Amino acid sequence: MASKIATLWGTLKKPSAKYSLIALLTVGFFSGVFFWGGFNTAMEATNTLEFCISCHEMRDNVYQEYKQTIHYSNRTGVRAICSDCHVPKDWSHKMVRKIQASAELWGKLMGTIDTKEKFEANRLRLAEHEWARMKSVDSRECRNCHSFEGMDTEKQKLRAAKMHKIAQDDKQTCIDCHKGIAHKKPQGMKEEDE
Amino acid sequence: MNRKQISMVLFGTVLAAGTQLAYAAPDWTKVPKREVSVFHPGTTPIEWVGKKSDHSGTAGLKKGETCVGCHEEKGGLNFNFKRLADKELEPKGAPKTMTYPVAVQAAYDASNLYIRLTFKSPSGGADKGDKDNEVKTTVMFPDAKVPQSAQVGCWAACHNDARSMPNADDKKTKYVKEGTYELMQWKSAKGAKVADGSVSTDRKMEGGTLGAKAEGTKSGDTYTVTFTRKNPGEGKVIPFGLAIHSDHASARFHHVSLGYTLGVGADGDVKAVKQ
Repeated sequence: MASKIATLWGTLKKPSAKYSLIALLTVGFFSGVFFWGGFNTAMEATNTLEFCISCHEMRDNVYQEYKQTIHYSNRTGVRAICSDCHVPKDWSHKMVRKIQASAELWGKLMGTIDTKEKFEANRLRLAEHEWARMKSVDSRECRNCHSFEGMDTEKQKLRAAKMHKIAQDDKQTCIDCHKGIAHKKPQGMKEEDE
Repeated sequence: MNRKQISMVLFGTVLAAGTQLAYAAPDWTKVPKREVSVFHPGTTPIEWVGKKSDHSGTAGLKKGETCVGCHEEKGGLNFNFKRLADKELEPKGAPKTMTYPVAVQAAYDASNLYIRLTFKSPSGGADKGDKDNEVKTTVMFPDAKVPQSAQVGCWAACHNDARSMPNADDKKTKYVKEGTYELMQWKSAKGAKVADGSVSTDRKMEGGTLGAKAEGTKSGDTYTVTFTRKNPGEGKVIPFGLAIHSDHASARFHHVSLGYTLGVGADGDVKAVKQ
């Protein structure tokens, strides 16, 4: 076995006498494009709303709540889907998040939240994880669409305008206040989260 | 002029003077109106107001902002009334009319402060706990010791464990942790006594210090209630809040105002005019 690997390695290291360099580069280039594209396409497929709600844990719980909110349906028809808020846009952060998310497969296998009761029992823990993630990145995913600079507080309700002024003065980030805007707020939130 | 005529004239003069003294009624046509919206607050006591996950404006309150500062705009209140009428905040059922305007006028003379409220009392209430009174109108004045007295109006007296709140003690009235509210209330039932009371560790409907009197009339569906209380002093600006129990409502099923200020010959949300 060891000798076979050594032979293969030897062959791979040897310059090719049969194929021209340009042929090798061309095949290599297109194979690279194919595999890279395929990888990203597969990853993007896991970013769709359909993928997220293909599991009943998401479809029966958070998805139903989200459907009642402004991020799902609004006057202008702009919709933010699950991944817009829960998965970073740029490639490196997205990769890290996707690798972390693979741990959710373990939860799926174990049935951690496979009933309504189990979901409710875990809602606070799950929400706290996501709030901590959002806070640690200065609400980056919110800011893909929203920014203080882009806000016209004149067009906001007075209460929102005043609160956004306070938030800017105190260097707060979106998630400091906007918890439970797309899903139900969990029971038993900690005082510092309130 | 014979003696009889003279005595009649004298009697008339005395009577007129007496009436003047008893009801030194201001000429309300010359007193400006300030429109104040009252609304059904559901179960949003001070504990709710001070909890960030319930009320995001808590941060503003901590910085000294008033309720009115964020919630009164374009001649009304900017609350999410759907949320206030929802089961979570109104488990018993919300009234058909969630908010309506009250015209507030104020005037004063050397001894008294007069406050006149004009409003159309809506029907379609969700609670008819008071069989005797179709309408009750209350004004409360917090003193400076009441927590956030200049910001929250009556809310420092409204608690989640008070009568008619969900799962609360049926005998517990309004109360305030520090300080005192002065309270005056007019009831629509014939011959009902005007309350001159206070709210401190509990609510008392008598023994107050306001010297409160009140008169109310109904014309069509419009009520006009005029309160008389002793003048707190020219130049003073006092905080106050209103509550109206319409359509036989009782306890917390009232429409209330946020906290406003009344300036006695001074600037306030409502400016009392000198008579």
